[in-house]
Amino acid sequence: MGRSIKKGPYIDVKLAKKVDSMEEGGKRSPIKTWARSCTIPPNFVGHTFMVHNGKMHVKVFITEDMVGHKLGEFAATRSFRGHTNKKEGLKAR
Amino acid sequence: MPRVVGVDIPNNKRLDIALTYVYGVGRATATKVCEELRLDPAMQARDLSEEQLTNLATHLEKVYVVEGSLRRQIAAAIARLRDIGSYRGLRHRRGLPVRGQRTRTNARGRKGPKKTVAGKKSVKGMK
Repeated sequence: MGRSIKKGPYIDVKLAKKVDSMEEGGKRSPIKTWARSCTIPPNFVGHTFMVHNGKMHVKVFITEDMVGHKLGEFAATRSFRGHTNKKEGLKAR
Repeated sequence: MPRVVGVDIPNNKRLDIALTYVYGVGRATATKVCEELRLDPAMQARDLSEEQLTNLATHLEKVYVVEGSLRRQIAAAIARLRDIGSYRGLRHRRGLPVRGQRTRTNARGRKGPKKTVAGKKSVKGMK
């Protein structure tokens, strides 16, 4: 179920402020953040974020299509690369 | 057999049931369409006149998204999720459940038929 319309989308206040101040200053450097649950509003487009995935910050460049999604959707928290192949596993030894 | 919207051939059934053979039309939409076009939902699909058929076809295409265009719309939505590199797009790419369901067991609808893995303990044995 979605969030109530009355409240509007959840946008991390501190993060939004940071973006605003950057816009004023005219520079666009990557912003480090832990706010994975923050919804992406239209004015984030064109900025780059370093979204924490639990271990490190993943670079995420915001495009127009990403508006409405949350920052965390673009920084995977799991790194499953498949099970080890039995044959290859033996070769390695 | 009558044809509505491309290749769909609803057969000798009640009109409201026959219409559900169109991709994108379920019971609710079918009943609504009958009402909008003043057609008896209990009539047999084969009894439709030529005029009623053309009316049905144009109405379905105009008011609702059905068949090819609906399929295209869905594919586009999924393609968008993939392109922006979101978690949901990744799940689509991998053919795994997208909405957070468990994958330790079940999820057969997305993963397809069971592939047995040697040495893997059964669910009962895991506790």
